[in-house]
Amino acid sequence: MNLNTEICSGRRTPGRSSVGLGLLLISLSAVLPIRPAIASAKLRIAASITDLASIASAVGGDQVECFSIARPTADVHHVEVLPSYMVRVSRADVYLKVGMQLDQWADQIIDGSRNDHLVIVDCSRDISALEKPTGQVNASMGDVHPNGNPHYWLDPRNGAIVATEVAEALGKVDPAHAADYQSRAEAFTKQVDSEMTKGKGIISTLPSNVVITYHSSWVYLASAFGLEIAGTAEPIPGIPPTAKHLQDLVDLIKQRKVGLFLQEPYFSDDAGQFLSRQTGLRVIKESPSCDTEAAGSYLSHIDQLLQLMAAPAGDAGGR
Amino acid sequence: MRCTLLCSLVTVLIVAGPLHAGVVNPDISVVGQPSLGFTDDSQVPDAKRVRLDVGETEMMFDSYLNPYARGIFILSLADGQLDLEEGYFTILRGLPGGLNLKGGKYRVGFGKLNSAHPHANPFAEPFHVLRTYLPGDESFNETGLSLSERLPAPGDMSLTATVDWLQGDTFRRERAVTEASIAAGDPRDTYASGPDRSGETRPAVVGRISGFTMVGERSGLEFGVSATQGTNNVAAKALTRVYGADVKAKLWNSAQSYLVLQGELLKLDREDAFWDSGTKVYVKNKVSPMGGYVFADYNFATRYNAGASFESYQSDNADKVWNKAVGLFAGFALMEETTAIRADWSHFMPGTPAESDGHTKAVNTFTIRVIYSMGPHKAHQF
Repeated sequence: MNLNTEICSGRRTPGRSSVGLGLLLISLSAVLPIRPAIASAKLRIAASITDLASIASAVGGDQVECFSIARPTADVHHVEVLPSYMVRVSRADVYLKVGMQLDQWADQIIDGSRNDHLVIVDCSRDISALEKPTGQVNASMGDVHPNGNPHYWLDPRNGAIVATEVAEALGKVDPAHAADYQSRAEAFTKQVDSEMTKGKGIISTLPSNVVITYHSSWVYLASAFGLEIAGTAEPIPGIPPTAKHLQDLVDLIKQRKVGLFLQEPYFSDDAGQFLSRQTGLRVIKESPSCDTEAAGSYLSHIDQLLQLMAAPAGDAGGR
Repeated sequence: MRCTLLCSLVTVLIVAGPLHAGVVNPDISVVGQPSLGFTDDSQVPDAKRVRLDVGETEMMFDSYLNPYARGIFILSLADGQLDLEEGYFTILRGLPGGLNLKGGKYRVGFGKLNSAHPHANPFAEPFHVLRTYLPGDESFNETGLSLSERLPAPGDMSLTATVDWLQGDTFRRERAVTEASIAAGDPRDTYASGPDRSGETRPAVVGRISGFTMVGERSGLEFGVSATQGTNNVAAKALTRVYGADVKAKLWNSAQSYLVLQGELLKLDREDAFWDSGTKVYVKNKVSPMGGYVFADYNFATRYNAGASFESYQSDNADKVWNKAVGLFAGFALMEETTAIRADWSHFMPGTPAESDGHTKAVNTFTIRVIYSMGPHKAHQF
């Protein structure tokens, strides 16, 4: 009995088709380089946030081109992994990560970039973390970061530490210009020192150095310039404000004579508007990240934040 | 087999733990999705009764294997059965020309929805057109090798070509065979010794090209075409081919709200083999239905979503009647997918075969699900 008898004519088996397509892909891979030829000798630096890109621009000068993945007004905790980001990172030489589990999405973008030559720098390596939890950490504590508060770039002194790390990394990738990167990092550190002096002077003009924030993003800024964060609108990190918690904050604001409420643009305005109505609190809505990847943007942003805080009532910011 | 698999996995993890704790332990996540449901589908035993169901529980273990590769295992526990839903490695870097290689058991990347796990969808049940046209009982899930390459594209546009070589098990279709037909010479001889060639598998192939482009600063548009071919009856050399085109747009209109519009169009070409006892040869009848779905899902205030779906597809038989379904869904997620509540209503309107009495009974299904997950939460992929 011929088990293969059939009416219709025979056909090619799928196996041959798949092998053929696979060979085509492999052949394509030989002629389609994943990294197109670099038009200039500049190092391409990708960064998770604009602040790191700006610091890299300051350190790299004319030898680098920098771009960031997260937009300045984006919530850096949640950045969507888009194929276009993978394409951009596929062309980069260095990737600057925030680290401390803030930009875990960066790992998927880096993996998807298929970039074998990418040098990845964790910019939190030499940072002394604030608010590092002690004891067991679990989800009942909300969106807590086990390695400490990751928003460290808001302290310009940490910016100087990052600049030194970036200079070291760029020097390894581009040894010919290592001395240039080092000297620019030192110049950047001097700028940070100036900004620290200027910033403390601005904050000293505030009628009260006690502030409330929406999320615990601003602790490094507070630590750098002598502000005291009396509370946050989120009762637990990642949980939106409840009515009872807001009422508790109203009492706290009146008791401690809190003058300012700092919040990021991607959070709801409801809590800030409520607190302002109840207490006359001034709401400042600003991004924790600078506007662009340009060299001066990072320190300008810190300066702008402090100026905004010291500005007369009526300048509520907003971006 | 399943018990052996689980024991092996647990043993590896136990041994690995004390040796290199914190270095080689994989990320472990568990997703549960208990539900409360009600349907008036008379084909279901507990129709018109509220049913509480623990649903499918998924356990995921994933980790870098080394600087070049990642591995993932997804175990599924449903109806008291433990199964390996997915288990594969991916070589991410080190291959020439930026090739990616994936190998193992996985949800095949045909179209946009098949590769996603159902708990990631805003609606409770997968679309009927996918369950009807794609191979496999619940999803197109196969053992195979997948090779992908990024193609040149302008600007930051991403264009990827993928080809899969699959074992082909899910393409197999059972034929109605009786002792009488076997006695009459049907070669699908399950009662006597000898090979059952109709039960063999032949390798199957999938090809897909997908592209993504940014729309403005934050929104995006993805499109793709897919095709697959496999053998559904080896003895009769009967083939199944499915072709698909898909598109997804995610359009942000504020910092906290966006609209997802997504749809797929599919065409099935399948040769159904029958054994002709008279001529003692296989006869193949070809069915070529088509259909598709669309849905819109509006996410707002970060934590809420509401949407609607529609599908229309021809039955995969000679009648080729058009079946339709509409659905509404809504959800609330406290903190991403750590805890999410989703409500879903679907109204399925089966088509009327020509020889029937003209009566078709629509089916309503209501579902409320709670999706809860513990473990590391990965970033959202487009």
